[in-house]
Amino acid sequence: MKFSVPREALLKPLQLVAGVVERRQTLPVLANVLIVLEGDRLSMTGTDLEVEIVARVQLPEAGESGELTVPARKLVDICRSLPDDAVLNFSEENQRVILKSGRSRFTLSTLPANDFPNVEQGPGDLQFSCEQQDIKRLIDRTGFAMAQQDVRYYLNGMLWEVKEGQLRAVATDGHRLAMCTRAVSVSTSDVTQAILPRKGVVELARLLDGQGNVDITLGANHIRVATEAYTFTSKLVDGKFPDYERVLPKGGNKEVFGDRNELRQAFGRTAILSNEKYRGVRLLLTDGQLTIVANNPEQEEAEEQVAVDYTGDQLEIGFNVSYLQDVTGVLSSDKVKMTLSDSNSSALLEEPEGGDSVYVVMPMRL
Amino acid sequence: MTRKIIHVDADCFFAAIEMRDNPDLRGRPMAVGGDPGKRGVISTCNYEARAFGVRSAMASALALRHCPSLLIVPHNMEKYREASQVMRNIFCDYTDLVEPLSLDEAFLDVSECNQHQGSATRMAEEIRARIAQALEITVSAGVAPNKFLAKVASDWQKPDGLTVIAPEAVDDFVRQLPVERISGVGRVTAEKMHRLEIHTCGDLRRYSQFELSEAFGSFGPRLHELCRGVDDRPVRTSRRRKSLSVEHTFAHDLNSLQDCLAQVPELLAKLSKRLLGLDDDYLVVKAFVKVKFDDFTSTTLERAGMQADVEDYQQLLEEAFGRSERPVRLLGLGVRFVDLKSGDDFTQMDFFQGEENP
Repeated sequence: MKFSVPREALLKPLQLVAGVVERRQTLPVLANVLIVLEGDRLSMTGTDLEVEIVARVQLPEAGESGELTVPARKLVDICRSLPDDAVLNFSEENQRVILKSGRSRFTLSTLPANDFPNVEQGPGDLQFSCEQQDIKRLIDRTGFAMAQQDVRYYLNGMLWEVKEGQLRAVATDGHRLAMCTRAVSVSTSDVTQAILPRKGVVELARLLDGQGNVDITLGANHIRVATEAYTFTSKLVDGKFPDYERVLPKGGNKEVFGDRNELRQAFGRTAILSNEKYRGVRLLLTDGQLTIVANNPEQEEAEEQVAVDYTGDQLEIGFNVSYLQDVTGVLSSDKVKMTLSDSNSSALLEEPEGGDSVYVVMPMRL
Repeated sequence: MTRKIIHVDADCFFAAIEMRDNPDLRGRPMAVGGDPGKRGVISTCNYEARAFGVRSAMASALALRHCPSLLIVPHNMEKYREASQVMRNIFCDYTDLVEPLSLDEAFLDVSECNQHQGSATRMAEEIRARIAQALEITVSAGVAPNKFLAKVASDWQKPDGLTVIAPEAVDDFVRQLPVERISGVGRVTAEKMHRLEIHTCGDLRRYSQFELSEAFGSFGPRLHELCRGVDDRPVRTSRRRKSLSVEHTFAHDLNSLQDCLAQVPELLAKLSKRLLGLDDDYLVVKAFVKVKFDDFTSTTLERAGMQADVEDYQQLLEEAFGRSERPVRLLGLGVRFVDLKSGDDFTQMDFFQGEENP
């Protein structure tokens, strides 16, 4: 194998592929990236057996075809530390890769391409295409609410639900829930659910930054998302996602409209003096005003008053302020609508009209 | 004023409870603790086991090597907690100032208690007898003018003992007290003291506070006090308040709302006075009123975020009175707190509580 590639064409795809590679692996070859050259088409693959990313790079001119694997981390570090305008010349000699660029020269160990594992794929049951931006938005709007290392393993990921004409993403850690729904052209009579593992969601989001379409294939045990330059494949979490519809509050009779930015900043300031571990703040809702109070064990106190559009009964309710910060941070509208009922019931937060996302936050008992 | 402190300490508490409930465990070495095969440790053992060198916190496997016939039974915390509650209820008959140190150990400040003509010794005797009767276990007690000495005293004649250190006896008692008896002096500190020819508290008294600080760091000033039998630490009740209220039953029923409202300032003054007596770690989060009517029905109304001032209470009272519109025999005003010391004043609720796994 022999080829030349400009650093700027290689670095970003290589970093994305290497991002999947775990620092500690069970198999030595999992520390490597698979490099395959077919004429002027270079492809690179990284995997941790759960998630696999393939990146395709078009070379300026054809090289000598071949395939091998090299240590991912080291290749990234070398590539990154070369000058911006460098051109990298790869060649293979006695099971080693010689990498030359200007007056730099590196010899890297290799492992045979045959040892490199594939993420196993079953047949795809459902296929559709949509805008990259739609997928990116679904993840951006909900990803923060995914659980992390929860014993309820099916919460450590993101639910994708496909039905006629729409794709919906739902994430929850049991304390708050985020849901975003986008219209996509998919034709199906069924409702298909799949749970993407947390790591897969994070890596997928990194791939999606451009315009153009993605092709999505959903199987019983895996999902594949392909753009022009990348193919992302991930195993699905084998489990049943909780019935999220049941979590969406229905009976809220207290509708509050407030300036999103003002609220976000007020939450941010009160958070400073909330209990570092529990993050609790008290919200006192009265006509036209929301008062936010935080106390900590050092007996310090923060109080913020925010003017809101509300008339009705007084309500005092406790929340983990981080959850409120997350929601007011991810929404983009000028105003935010909060629907509450009582101090033991969850709050619904959303954009006042025409939004594609809803957020549910469970209170803290005072 | 000289204080009267009682320290009560149950004798091999967990083991005693197990022996009480299972006679087969009596008269032989036994312990309550973890499985020796699973790196368990001994929590408590009876005196028969102690004779073999078995100690609390010793690895169960090691305990079995010291005493091959040792029978180790598993914990039954629910039972111990129940017994502990019984003891605590008995303590509370003598004083509100009860500071539990663990399930089986507590300090009582009985300085203000008038029972037995204020004799702490007789109170301690009675407490021991009542616990023996109620729980069929023995406890040891120490009576002294402070916590340090009360604890030393309860350990002085264990098991089933009572030791009293009267104020006039303190000086002589402490002078001959071996330094190992001072809580906070462990093996290493004791060895260091022995190298300096310090064996008793009397020996410690030869050193100035400065010299003790040089030798024992921040423990120095405390040692300087303890070796003279001085310990001013108060008995701190760990029972934290959730609310505070005052109420008054009127000799004649209040027939109108106006009459009720007129009582608010006086009641509030009483409440404010009681509030001043609390430490600063309570934060008032709610105000409430309690109204008992002439038919003995009662209602309470509370609201968060109030200032707990006269207007707030009058507003609450007006609403509460409106619920029945009857003559009122009793009025109460109160506040609810968040205890800033507890830190757990918030509990996060979960969507899926109780459905851990599908």
